[in-house]
Amino acid sequence: MTKILYANDLTACFSLWRKEGMRVLGPVSKAKTSGFGEVQDAHELDLNLVLTARTLKELFFPRTEPMFSYSIGKQKIETGEFLPSENPCIIFGARPCDAAGMAIDDELFNWDYRDEYWFRRRDRSVIMTIACKESDDFCMCTSLGLAPDSAKGSDVLLRPLASGNGWRVEELTPKGGKALQPIASLLKEGSEAAAPTAEDPLLFDLEACTTWLADPENFESHFWKEISERCIGCGTCTYLCPTCHCFDIQDEGDTYEGIRRKNWDSCSFQLFTMHTSGHNPRATQSARWRQRIMHKFNYFSDKFTVNSCTGCGRCTRECPVDMGVRETLQAISTLQK
Amino acid sequence: MSIQEQYRSRAKELLREGTVKMVIGYGAGTTPLRRRPIFITSPDDADRLVLDAACRTNLAGYLLREGLLADQKSVAVFLTPDGVRTINILAAESQLATEQVIVLGFQIDGENARQLEGTRVADFSGIIAERKKKRKEQPSHEVARKLEQMTSVERFAFWEGEFSRCIKCYACRAACPMCWCRRCVVDNNQPQWVNTSSHTLGNLEWNLVRAFHLAGRCVECGNCSEACPVNIPLHLLNRRMTEEVLTAFDYYPGADEHQEPVLASFRKDDPETFIL
Repeated sequence: MTKILYANDLTACFSLWRKEGMRVLGPVSKAKTSGFGEVQDAHELDLNLVLTARTLKELFFPRTEPMFSYSIGKQKIETGEFLPSENPCIIFGARPCDAAGMAIDDELFNWDYRDEYWFRRRDRSVIMTIACKESDDFCMCTSLGLAPDSAKGSDVLLRPLASGNGWRVEELTPKGGKALQPIASLLKEGSEAAAPTAEDPLLFDLEACTTWLADPENFESHFWKEISERCIGCGTCTYLCPTCHCFDIQDEGDTYEGIRRKNWDSCSFQLFTMHTSGHNPRATQSARWRQRIMHKFNYFSDKFTVNSCTGCGRCTRECPVDMGVRETLQAISTLQK
Repeated sequence: MSIQEQYRSRAKELLREGTVKMVIGYGAGTTPLRRRPIFITSPDDADRLVLDAACRTNLAGYLLREGLLADQKSVAVFLTPDGVRTINILAAESQLATEQVIVLGFQIDGENARQLEGTRVADFSGIIAERKKKRKEQPSHEVARKLEQMTSVERFAFWEGEFSRCIKCYACRAACPMCWCRRCVVDNNQPQWVNTSSHTLGNLEWNLVRAFHLAGRCVECGNCSEACPVNIPLHLLNRRMTEEVLTAFDYYPGADEHQEPVLASFRKDDPETFIL
């Protein structure tokens, strides 16, 4: 016997959570794209998407956010803080790859400095993930050591019922358990079977790839130039990546009054590493693509013992010239043989 | 022989006889429906080339890759008539020499790719003149007509909404063959002229700067709209600009390689309706 949440009860759940002062967010298709947005009613959710175009990270790490303001007057200097103060939220219907991405970035944002902007939002949110029944041509979580029903990063895992009427509910963390309390009356005991999880074939040998990447001999390999020849240097893959977390600090205003903001930045851009002198240590696009791959599968794992890729496949799915992590790792896998 | 086969043998021939050092074309992509730009330098690799209705990206921008044309050698590239116009504009803007470009011309008609006769950009002037005529007669886009009927406040709200999705990935810039600046104005950060933040002001600034810089230069290839990961209808802005210069100056960008840029040239009979 296990707890079951029926789809018909979802809107009632949302009301109960709202009564507790929690906002409810989930995958929505709006204005020709999809991402996570606040909803009132279950019908607003688009739970049939394999994956939203935009990732979960935007909820914790917005593309632009004010950090503080300053104004310098003749008499006094004033500063203002903008620490996140949104109400706690339930994120209903995240995908396992996105949820895993948040757990990976937790380590980064709590490494040499605890990023209050990230953690204030993380601490006040509960991620309820729905295991995938379907994958598409770009999914590759299995190849990254995860799975269409990975629990990593989630507080509650929901397994879709074979009947399509609801989900089997698995509580994963105390935070998840607490979020289920207000809706306890709507969780029914049952033994209905779950639908089979998606098939996500193994596309490359990750260990072989990381071994190749770790060999300093390969850093200057011609491979990097060939694999990234068509890269146009836009930031799509990084901005739509659940784990890419680089940002830039910008002061908007003037000497006397302004706001300091934290904006997304991307290693794909020429400007990212441009020195004040005009020298650029990553002068070519192939060096930038190499950096992206090395960061995910070598530098990050050196520091945090985990790769910073969850196999969501968005980099390939959304790339204007059909590149992505998948092609690169598949190619490296072949080099090994 | 299918058009794909014809172009494969043509590419092989060009590479084998040394007429070109590289052929820029399309290859198979991650899924059966996808194509990706590929760069062929050996005749043996020419069989990787694919040509069909899924080949939609304007490849002209790749010719401006740093150093590619510096050795005076030629490169062959698969181009639609709009791609040829792109080459003409780039030549007029002194970004390349047309002598170094061999055109593998094609056109997509519905589900089929059709071969176009010609080798040099000048060979396509007839087709381009024909396109200009058609463009003049082409009715405005349905959404564009609705936008025209809006009040300025409504129109502003429309674009504010569309741009609110912008994440400033600059894929529109990176995908555009006309964005050839080595350092884009928005990347000038000493001082930072244009906000990098993707808030309302920053998004308006970027998208309007982009649209203005393309007035009289855009060939409407669609690379920007295709590349936009949040599906902002950028083509509507570009089309509006195209129609504006077409009506005001009878100017169709990329007609030939000697055409003077519309915003950088002057004729005594230019309309001066903006002078009150």
